[in-house]
Amino acid sequence: MNLKKIIFLFLTCCFSLATAIAQQPTTRKVVDFTGGARSVVTNNSLLVKDTVPDTTTVGKNTGGYALVDLGVNIRPNQTTELMGMFRIRSGYGGFWGAGVTFDVRQLWLKGIIGDIVRYQVGDLNLKQTPFTLYNHRADRFDSLPDVFSLQSDIVDYERFYTGNTWRQQGINVDFGLTFAKGIQGIDFTGYVTRMNATDFLSVPDRLFAGFSAIVVQQEGIKLGYNQSSIFDVKGTSAESPSFSNNVQSLTAYFHRTVQNLDLTLDGEAGKSSYADSRFADRDPLEDYFLYGKLNGLWKNKGIGFNVGYINVGPDFRSMGAQTKEIDYSASPEYFNRYTNGQILRPLDLTDLIGNSNLYRTSISDKLMDIQPAINNVLPYGIATFNRLGAFAGFNYIKVKGLRLDVTQYQLREIRGQGTLALKSFSRTDINARFQIGEVLEWKKKLCVHGGVFLQSTDRKGDLAVEDVSLKTTRLQGGVEVEISKGLDLLGGVVQLNSSGSDFIADRDDYTEIDFFERVDYDLLQQTFAGGLRFRFEKNIYICALYQSSRYNDRTKSMPGFTINQFALIYNMTF
Amino acid sequence: MKKSLILLAIVALFAGCRKETDTFDGVSIQDLYSDFMMLQPFNVSSDSIDFSNGETAVFTALFNKPVNWTLEISGQTSKAKKVITGLSKRIDASNATWDGSTTAFPMFKQEACVVQLLIDGVTDTFQLQTFIKSPKVNEGLVIADYEGGFNSAWTRFVQSGANMDFNIKSDSLCPQGAKYLNMAGTVAWDWLIGLIDYPATAYGGGNTLPLSTNPNNVYFNCLIYGVPNTNESLVLFQFKEDENGDGVYNSNTDDQYDFQITVNWAGWKLVSIRYNDLVSLYNGQPTTANGNATHNPDKIAKVSMLHLANPANGYAHCKIDYLIFTPTPLNP
Repeated sequence: MNLKKIIFLFLTCCFSLATAIAQQPTTRKVVDFTGGARSVVTNNSLLVKDTVPDTTTVGKNTGGYALVDLGVNIRPNQTTELMGMFRIRSGYGGFWGAGVTFDVRQLWLKGIIGDIVRYQVGDLNLKQTPFTLYNHRADRFDSLPDVFSLQSDIVDYERFYTGNTWRQQGINVDFGLTFAKGIQGIDFTGYVTRMNATDFLSVPDRLFAGFSAIVVQQEGIKLGYNQSSIFDVKGTSAESPSFSNNVQSLTAYFHRTVQNLDLTLDGEAGKSSYADSRFADRDPLEDYFLYGKLNGLWKNKGIGFNVGYINVGPDFRSMGAQTKEIDYSASPEYFNRYTNGQILRPLDLTDLIGNSNLYRTSISDKLMDIQPAINNVLPYGIATFNRLGAFAGFNYIKVKGLRLDVTQYQLREIRGQGTLALKSFSRTDINARFQIGEVLEWKKKLCVHGGVFLQSTDRKGDLAVEDVSLKTTRLQGGVEVEISKGLDLLGGVVQLNSSGSDFIADRDDYTEIDFFERVDYDLLQQTFAGGLRFRFEKNIYICALYQSSRYNDRTKSMPGFTINQFALIYNMTF
Repeated sequence: MKKSLILLAIVALFAGCRKETDTFDGVSIQDLYSDFMMLQPFNVSSDSIDFSNGETAVFTALFNKPVNWTLEISGQTSKAKKVITGLSKRIDASNATWDGSTTAFPMFKQEACVVQLLIDGVTDTFQLQTFIKSPKVNEGLVIADYEGGFNSAWTRFVQSGANMDFNIKSDSLCPQGAKYLNMAGTVAWDWLIGLIDYPATAYGGGNTLPLSTNPNNVYFNCLIYGVPNTNESLVLFQFKEDENGDGVYNSNTDDQYDFQITVNWAGWKLVSIRYNDLVSLYNGQPTTANGNATHNPDKIAKVSMLHLANPANGYAHCKIDYLIFTPTPLNP
């Protein structure tokens, strides 16, 4: 029996079960259908700017797909809920079902045991703390204008990026205890997921497990202990390699209101160890970290601030928190190769914003590659190892319309990389969104958005060869205008300019440095987009989008190119 | 809350005080981006090596920075070549130990060798000489290396086509020893050009080959030469097991496993397969074995080697040498 038949049979069974349960003589709603549908049609063209005209690459392509995610959410009783979601996807041009795929997109079951223990098995959206298990979205352009978030929202949906969670498969259990005096209660959470399966020869079963115990001392005071571990299960393969990465941390949370000022102190401190028996001659990597942040907010004025401290050791390893969401070794969705030499095309802004194939859902047990031109200051979020320094921020949230966020990071290395001289890092994030329509009390939406993001990395060594100076500037702006009921005009631009040089560390499988490659940057990337969106309802829209993206490497190490794209996107969730 | 804050501040103060380190991660950038220098000369552990006795040659050198290096060992008589590459600051036993194996056929003989060290980005080359007192011996059961001619226990059948040649030859191209089997001819009415049966009785161990009982620890290897600009040959090996120990292979009740090789390359090439990965074929397509469907290398009663070619294509030609069972893939 082939896969399509199995899936069809399974779908039929689920539908029959759902129908049967729905027809039960009860007033309580026990079955929901949930899911979404999307259709994307694109027309792309590539213009190559090389010293020799590119006569080899086919410069145009059209493509697209239609897909339906159909989920059945069943609650057979008050304490149990299960979800199965299937995806039917058809690539345009796949006639008579040739390009149709059937996948199980979600499958989980959750419930409550004895009104005490909540559990979920199957697919899980997990996060713990920023240093144990956390999706930092370090390289995601989360504050882009709306015209770009149409695409990045699709990436989030495809990769199950909900907040800072990672999509895993396993089991999650949580329960709480309350006390009459002394402390209010303790909340326990635990999970076990499978990172990879054994091949019965050299690859053992690898699990990722963790738990947290949060003591709620009184209203506004919480203290917690957290542990996460990646480990191999002994005896699951003929050879017995052994890998482990353990992180333990203490968290503290204090909240107090002084007159109109809400104060929150949030901190985490802990240590990690990393060992791999394949590298028997190496000592385990062990180090600690310390992180603290004080937030303040005058609610009546809409003004907030934050100050913080980061101290993450150079040998701190926490794969649950240091896995990057983007895999820079992945290929673009189209025009993978270009020029007459058919070299691999570098990823540009269009790819980073809208290509979900670049983004991963699984935790990596190795340090993933970073891209200094995108993020050199905190490439693994605040869990980035070898960083010491402080940050401060300011935000202004006027009740009507205006939101301004400013954050400044000043950091340095703790241990030198290839030299005793240390790099210093500076990052400035300024992002503003102004709902002009609300301020002027227009009935229709008018919103402008602007952002400036600056990064710099510097090192002054004993010899000029050790010097590093890399600056990256991202400027972005956008506008969203409702020109008639439900019909929006969208426009936006993003520009990324990287110049200078740095040394990229080439790391082995033990995450230690083998080599340094000096890379010079003088790279300008620009993406312009404009489009019309019609909103049928809140979660249903159709959009015609035109986007032009330029990649200009002024060091001439990679030929420049421009990709123009017209896209028609229909999207709905239900 | 005040006490908790003070406690947290004290912890933070102590934890935040890191010692300044006097080391750095990775290789020195100063070394890496300075001019190349040889700090210890290029050397070899011995100028005369007996590989058959398990001896190895260890090359050593030390540079001022990590470099991409290539060692090329050339046999002066055989023209065999061994290539070892690496990226490091130091060449030593961990990355430059030679066990007498070859990268490009033929295999090394008893002969003088020239060893060249090439370094990326450096125009100078470094050279030394060594001598192979006795070449490497491969552990395993040799089915045929043709050095002693045709074994009288082997059975040969050759079609009566045109330009038929199913003979042992000797020339400078021979990858192992001095002789190999040439297989050539035109057979317009059949895929089969010729075959040789190698019965277990030819190897003095009784009715079955003296091999391990574990099919994961048995590899079959051979060297095949694809003749350039010639029609494609197929070489089919049949491993016939005598499972009931009655002394004969019965095609209806015993297993036969097959290994079909399409010779679509030019020059000598090593082909290796684990016995447990063999499948039964019928007209080139996988099928179920007729016996217990268990790979039993210790029960192989006969190995048959068939030279096949599409009759519509005409003349086909390839060469073969050094049929050997080994416990791991052959490292020639």
